[in-house]
Amino acid sequence: MIRLENVTKSYSAEVVAVKDASFDVAKGEFVFMVGPSGSGKSTLLKLLNRQDRPEKGAVWVAGRNIVDLPSGRIPMLRRNIGNIFQDYKLLLEKNVFENVAFAQEVIGRPQHVIRQQVPAVLDLVGLSGKEERMPNQLSGGEQQRVSIARAFVNRPLILLADEPTGNLDPATGEGIMRLLDRINKTGTTIVMATHDQRIVNSMRKRVIQLDRGIIVRDQARGVYE
Amino acid sequence: MLSRLRYIFRETFDSFRRNATLTVASIITAAISLLGVGLTLLSQEGFDNLLSKWEGGVEMIIFMRPDVSDDQKALIESSLNENSQFIESWTYCDVECSIAESERVLAAEPGVRDLLNESNIPTQYKAVPTEATDVALLRQVSDEFAGGPGVFEVVFAEDQITLIEQLQSFFGFRLFLLSGFLLVAAVLLIWNTIRTAIFARRREIEVMKLVGATDWFIRIPFMLEGLLHGVIGGALASLGLGIWNSQWTRGVQGFPENSGFASLVITNGYDKQVMLIMLLIGAVAGAIGSGIAASRFLDV
Repeated sequence: MIRLENVTKSYSAEVVAVKDASFDVAKGEFVFMVGPSGSGKSTLLKLLNRQDRPEKGAVWVAGRNIVDLPSGRIPMLRRNIGNIFQDYKLLLEKNVFENVAFAQEVIGRPQHVIRQQVPAVLDLVGLSGKEERMPNQLSGGEQQRVSIARAFVNRPLILLADEPTGNLDPATGEGIMRLLDRINKTGTTIVMATHDQRIVNSMRKRVIQLDRGIIVRDQARGVYE
Repeated sequence: MLSRLRYIFRETFDSFRRNATLTVASIITAAISLLGVGLTLLSQEGFDNLLSKWEGGVEMIIFMRPDVSDDQKALIESSLNENSQFIESWTYCDVECSIAESERVLAAEPGVRDLLNESNIPTQYKAVPTEATDVALLRQVSDEFAGGPGVFEVVFAEDQITLIEQLQSFFGFRLFLLSGFLLVAAVLLIWNTIRTAIFARRREIEVMKLVGATDWFIRIPFMLEGLLHGVIGGALASLGLGIWNSQWTRGVQGFPENSGFASLVITNGYDKQVMLIMLLIGAVAGAIGSGIAASRFLDV
């Protein structure tokens, strides 16, 4: 599903975010990217959805090298990739239903599909009955569930999660991880950047460890270390 | 399709609401600048009307000496006929006619009128030129006749025509320049409003891009917003122009018929054409301003 071949990305001569990174992620896999702040985890996620381009190497997503993807084709790529963020990135003037529906509206889904799919995904993330709530009326965990619903409502092949539990207490974070695990079991590939040791150790999924942009460990059913 | 249209209109009006102050400012600027454009066009049309009226009434008058002979008159008449490309028509005003005319023209100056009699009054050829507003051409034709046999003097309304042309050129150019500057200001303000709107909605745009919205899908509501700024500005300017024209028309009705001001009234439907032009210019200015902003600042 994902393949990186000798990818290097730097922001300046002194700041090399990712250096000569190579790995494969199979369809339906759940991968943790771990490492301290500034190790290149978020940059790798940005390379996977073409928010950034590497100087060197190839990034293959769903069988296509996206490094030289024409800008007009990027939206189609992103329709197959859901994004989850530490700060949720919810639209504060829209309610829960509208936030999730927004992801469908902007790609032109008809209203009858939106009316059908949004409640279903809100049910999946455990937010049934809270459709009318505004983001500021929700807890952090609920806001992250809305963010996950929005990322998953278009049934993407891949979910990229950048520190999705970073702003949550441990119990709430566990709930979010259970939800991501359920989504992963539907066949969705998940790549999650985190430095939450407890979660990585409890999930026992594949772990790719980065240190100053270099992959120093790639371990199946790994722990944080 | 319906879903997209609904989305586009909803987002456009949301943006209007959120940036109310800037939106009002850019609409007012667009309206004022378009009103300037409209007034320029109307004033030019008014001056054209005035010149057209003059064109109908302008005559070149060749005054003949009182002792002019029949042969000399025949020469002048022959010359008038030969210059048909410059002279549309001509009439001869003999002694009797000239006396009658002096009675009318010099009614306010009886002393001067009394000095004229059948033996000393100059007779006149009144020629209607083909191009009565071309002062240079009129002068050329007039000079040609001025040196003719038996000719006392050749006159035409050179000063008045020159004055109107100067006024038209003075006001037309300066108003055009001013409205051009105002139009650029309107485009820049619309551009800035859209840029601010994009900045205010950067979070939404980021989400839209990440879920796979195309750039055009993101741009269209902003472009529509700018277009509406221009069109609403154009509509307000049209309203202003309509009120201005009606007030002006009413105002000049009291002026004397021969003062020229009556000809500065636009009554032939040209004001409606100008209103349509203002709406179109407003739409184009709005589309250009917002189009540039939406293309340039989308990478938020």
